[in-house]
Amino acid sequence: MTPGMELNDMGWVWGAYGLTAAVLVTYAISLTLRFRKERR
Amino acid sequence: MRRVVWEHWIGALGLLLLLVGTWLSLAWAPADAHMGLVQKIMYVHVPAAWVAMLAFTIVFVAAVGWLWRGTWGWDALVESATEVGVVMGALLLALGSIWARPTWGVWWDWDPRLTTAAVMVLSFSALMALRGFVDDPEKRATWTAVAAIVAYVDVPIVYFSVRWWRSLHQLQSSRGTVDPALLVPLYVMGIAFLLVGVWFVARRYRIARARLAAEMEEEAA
Repeated sequence: MTPGMELNDMGWVWGAYGLTAAVLVTYAISLTLRFRKERR
Repeated sequence: MRRVVWEHWIGALGLLLLLVGTWLSLAWAPADAHMGLVQKIMYVHVPAAWVAMLAFTIVFVAAVGWLWRGTWGWDALVESATEVGVVMGALLLALGSIWARPTWGVWWDWDPRLTTAAVMVLSFSALMALRGFVDDPEKRATWTAVAAIVAYVDVPIVYFSVRWWRSLHQLQSSRGTVDPALLVPLYVMGIAFLLVGVWFVARRYRIARARLAAEMEEEAA
C-alpha cells in the first residue's frame, strides 16, 4: 500500500463502526440482564 | 397493559437516530478532501467523546450533590454515570486509535490530548474499582464522591489540552471550519449518542437503586 492509500481504505471505517456497534449492543444487553437479575 | 418506562422511548429514538446517522455518515456525506474516507470515523469518535465528558460532568454534579445533601439518589447517579462514562471513554480511545493508525501512522502517541484523555478514563475506572472495595454504603458514597471531584479536574484539561499545548490532535472544529455536509451526520450522531447515553444512565441508575435498596434491607435485617 502506498502512502495516502490508507486514507481511503474503508476497512478502518468498517472496523470503527463495527466496534461501536459491538460496544453499544454488548453494554445494552449487559444492562438489561443485570436489571433483570436485580429485580429477581 | 404494561407501562413502558420513559427511558425506553428515549432509547428507541436514539437507536433510530443511530441508524439514520450511520446511513448519513457512510452513504450520504462526502469524503473529506484531505483525510479521505477514514474521516468518517469522526462521526462516532466525536459523539463518544461528547457523551463520555457529559457523563463525567454528571458524575461531578452528583458527587457534589451527595456531599451537600446526602440523598441516595445522588450516589446512585455517581455510580451509573461513572460506568457509562468509562464505557464511552474506552470506546473514544479505541476509535481514536483506529483513526490515528491510517492518518498519523501510529496507533498511539503520548501527545497531551491522548494522554489526558487516557488519564481521565483510567481515573474514573479507578473510581469504579474503589466502589467495589468499600462495603459500607455511606463510606462508599462519600469516598467515591471525593474521588470523583478529584478525577473531574482532568476533564477540562482534556478539553483545553489541544489549545494549551502543541498537540498532534486537531483543535475542536466549529461550524465555521466544517462544511455543512459533514456537520449534518455529526449532529445526528451526536443526538443519537446522547439519547442512547441517557438510556444507559437511566437503566444503570435503576440497577444501582435496586442494589442499594437490597443492601439497606440486609443491614436492617
